[in-house]
Amino acid sequence: MELKTQKVILRQHAEQQYAEELENLQKVDTAQRPPNWNLSPWAVATYLLGGRLDNGFEISAKYIGNRRLIEIAIATLATDRALLLLGVPGTAKTWVSEHLAAAVSGNSTLLIQGTAGTPEEAIRYGWNYALLLAKGPSHEAIVPSPVMNAMQGGKIARVEELTRIPSDVQDTLITILSEKTLPIPELNSEIQAAKGFNIIATANNRDRGVNELSSALKRRFNTVILPVPATAEEEVEIVQKRVVSIGRALELPQEKPAIEEIRRIVMIFRELREGKTVDGKTKLKSPSSTLSTAEAISVVTSGLSLACHFGDGTLRANDVASGITGAVVKDPVQDAVVWQEYLETVVKERNGWKDLYRSCRDLL
Amino acid sequence: MKPPVALLIYAPDDPHKASFYPFAVYSPEWQAIQHGLRQNIPVRFMDLPHTHILAEELHENEKEKGQYQEKQEDIHHDPIGHLARAAGYTDGERWWEHMVETRQENDTEIFAAILEGMTALRKELANEQNENLHEKRREAYMRKTLRETQKEDYKKIAVVCGAWHGPAFVNVPTVKSDNELLKGLPAIKTKSAWAPWSYSRISFWTGYGAGVYSPEWYHILWDQKKNLVTYWLTRAARLMRQEQLDVSSAHVIEAVRLSEALASLRGHPLPGLEEMDEAALAVMCFGEEASMRLIRKKLVVGDRMGVIPQDAPVVPLQQDLMKWQKTLRLPAKEDTREYDFDLRKPTDLSRSHLLHRLRLLEIPWGEQLTQKGRSAGTFHEYWQLQWKPEFVMDLIQAARWGNTVENAASARCIHTADHTDNLKEIATLLDNALLADLPEAVESLISSIQERTAKSGDVQQMMQAMIPLARVMRYGNVRQTDKSMLKGVIDGLAARIMINLPGACVSINDEAAEQMFELINGTHSAITLLQSEEQMQGWASVLNQLADLKNGHNLINGRSCRLLQEMGHFPLEEAARRMSLALSLANDSSQVAAWLEGFLRGSGLILIHDQRLWQVLDDWITGLRDDHFSEVLPLLRRTFSTFAVSERRYIGQQVKRNDSGAAKAVLFDSERLDYERAGRILPLLSQILDVEIET
Repeated sequence: MELKTQKVILRQHAEQQYAEELENLQKVDTAQRPPNWNLSPWAVATYLLGGRLDNGFEISAKYIGNRRLIEIAIATLATDRALLLLGVPGTAKTWVSEHLAAAVSGNSTLLIQGTAGTPEEAIRYGWNYALLLAKGPSHEAIVPSPVMNAMQGGKIARVEELTRIPSDVQDTLITILSEKTLPIPELNSEIQAAKGFNIIATANNRDRGVNELSSALKRRFNTVILPVPATAEEEVEIVQKRVVSIGRALELPQEKPAIEEIRRIVMIFRELREGKTVDGKTKLKSPSSTLSTAEAISVVTSGLSLACHFGDGTLRANDVASGITGAVVKDPVQDAVVWQEYLETVVKERNGWKDLYRSCRDLL
Repeated sequence: MKPPVALLIYAPDDPHKASFYPFAVYSPEWQAIQHGLRQNIPVRFMDLPHTHILAEELHENEKEKGQYQEKQEDIHHDPIGHLARAAGYTDGERWWEHMVETRQENDTEIFAAILEGMTALRKELANEQNENLHEKRREAYMRKTLRETQKEDYKKIAVVCGAWHGPAFVNVPTVKSDNELLKGLPAIKTKSAWAPWSYSRISFWTGYGAGVYSPEWYHILWDQKKNLVTYWLTRAARLMRQEQLDVSSAHVIEAVRLSEALASLRGHPLPGLEEMDEAALAVMCFGEEASMRLIRKKLVVGDRMGVIPQDAPVVPLQQDLMKWQKTLRLPAKEDTREYDFDLRKPTDLSRSHLLHRLRLLEIPWGEQLTQKGRSAGTFHEYWQLQWKPEFVMDLIQAARWGNTVENAASARCIHTADHTDNLKEIATLLDNALLADLPEAVESLISSIQERTAKSGDVQQMMQAMIPLARVMRYGNVRQTDKSMLKGVIDGLAARIMINLPGACVSINDEAAEQMFELINGTHSAITLLQSEEQMQGWASVLNQLADLKNGHNLINGRSCRLLQEMGHFPLEEAARRMSLALSLANDSSQVAAWLEGFLRGSGLILIHDQRLWQVLDDWITGLRDDHFSEVLPLLRRTFSTFAVSERRYIGQQVKRNDSGAAKAVLFDSERLDYERAGRILPLLSQILDVEIET
């Protein structure tokens, strides 16, 4: 690990990227910590929501939105109930989950990515088959899963896309969450969780083909629904922050992204999402795409790359046009109609949006 | 007596002047009184008596002092809110709750701190030029009472008052200045009564958020200092179960733990309403607002209602009602009961009057039922009675209208009529007033109507008023004196309608024509009901005008023709002529369809009985071009669908009969018949019928 320098890795883990902030928080933190937590709940909240410490150190805000939701999430983890973060795609569920794990246990890598093919071994444990066949079942032959590691170390495990996991595999979590033990029937023993163990799961409620959680499993979680940003200003702030930090990671030349361009993109996404213009006078059709904040961020980032490498460095309308079109038109038949209508009725009529209109029209 | 109850103080001569003082079990005054009763300590009220408050509309004077009012109101009416905002809370209730109510220890130092805070606030207020005279008088009176009590040689005197008034007892002005303030205050006679109250009346619910006052929360806070959170969340779980949501005790346990963790995260000593709401949302509702919204109001406001003993003093209105209930043998029961009143019997008639009067006061003790299968207009009225405890509160509030049920209903009626310009509303009120037997109100309403018809130019409103009025005139049991007055009003109304109607029907669109259609129908039935020769003549001439109106809507034209024909003004030939005239309007088939609709809608009998009309219509329809026909078809269908089923069937059969006459002619045209093809089916036919057929 030490051989790889910062320059080579594409994206650092949260606990590495914000190591300084976490360190400073630990120094200042005098409130009571739940067993095996690195920080107290108050400190975790400050880490996520941003703030200024007594020694003058500035903590950047990781989550911009309703403060109370984060407080509920942290309080859930403190009462060692499992946390389920729900929301439409692109509302920072994975982001929050990663940062929570980083702040609480200093390790956000105990991660299980849920897919339709996730087997039970991914959640409980696997076997080293060579050893198993050679010497029979033994503790050495077990290949622990992230959950098992978390239980033994008293850390937080993360499960992404819980609803994509098949139901029978999902239900293996029930015993883990209620009795905090992982039975190993083959060895006639069990692993009991150390203090500080918890699970943060994320699921999105927009997809088709999800496996709904059984009510027994649902009951083991406290659910927090993360909403899309309430106001346009919030969304613009989020997009801007993330674009700056991604730009740094991609080593794009440090050009401050045009705030006006970002505002335009956010406005377009919000209007299409809500199905009416911001002044509330015209009704619009909504496309089938989700148009979340995450997509806005990626549109701006790709626009920035285009501008830097193929343009003159300033973010302009024709840099973002293709990104916007791609984000809006997911279904080639329905969404194309919606997008065209929007262009003709709204974009064309707005003052100062002629450049965007022309660029988008050229792409159709 | 069980709280929540309210103390009602009113001026018996002028019931409009009244004040309510609600008490809940956690109200300091209530607790003080209870303590005094238990420990045999005398308890006295010390605020400025209502003989003075009600006498002079002191508050009115205050409103005239304009400029400084705003800042003053800010601190003065909400001193707690001011302090809360200074402390960084958005809401005075929550700040007070966290600072004072949820303190676990018996902390008497808090009172000293509150006194200090209020003193500071008042100093700030005193810097302003203006001061509230009413408040000064109240505090002067409080000090006066205190001084008198001190003279009576009690060892310890406890004063229970609002936080704002605390400093009034510390920095005491002289006796002389206090007496100056209280000199010469006007006084009126007042009486007091107790009324049961409810938490929903105490709270101020406009939706969940900052500033919501939860009486239920304070009640529980008072009742059980431990297990608060458990109790609250258990209540939430039970309410959700009532709404068919599965919430188990395990959910409650987890919700309690979460709310306590949230409270400690936020630095509060005790979970408050918000923490518990969020915990319930996250644990029991899986993050979804919808389920929480169902139960939130019941959870936060609560549905406790108070009880007062039978012999407690009550308002005169209530006394009157109780007297009537006894006399008429109509007990107030909470289960539903059905009654059949025969209006020829005086007791039943009085009962009907009583129920109608109560309805005018918005106390729906009885609901009138319309029974199917029994004809309207008989001497029977069917009622369903159910007494609800809330009615007592409605009764108390209605007490300001009068001291007896009759007076109150009358006054209320007149007041509503005075404050509306809608003729139809007044006409309906008149109808109800007659049903309730309120002659005074009836008189006032009739003159109200007259006034408004003179002023109003709106034909539609006039027609809307005409319809109930005519019915009242004909069927209502109006006394002779009223009848002549009513007749005058109706005549005037009718005349105005007839003058203004043609003008109102020119160049109107389909929607407006539809409205006019209904109103003209109604007015027609009203005028026929009144059976006045003169009016009928006038109406007939108006209808003539309408039938020939250029730029009028065909719907109206058609209807006018029909009405004239029904009145006997047109012989059928004339009607047929008009119809063919209308149907010959070149090319615009939708216009024709509108005319037909106006003419035919509602009754197809005329079509069945008159051959000429039938023929005209038949010729026209068969002569339509294909595209015109498809245009006109939905309109015609709509018209015909308003006929009775039997009429439609008859018309259909008639059409078939007429047609089959023509068809028979075709059948015997043997050149047309293909014998060979016909012969081919004969074998199959003989098999089916099992008969030999000669081919």
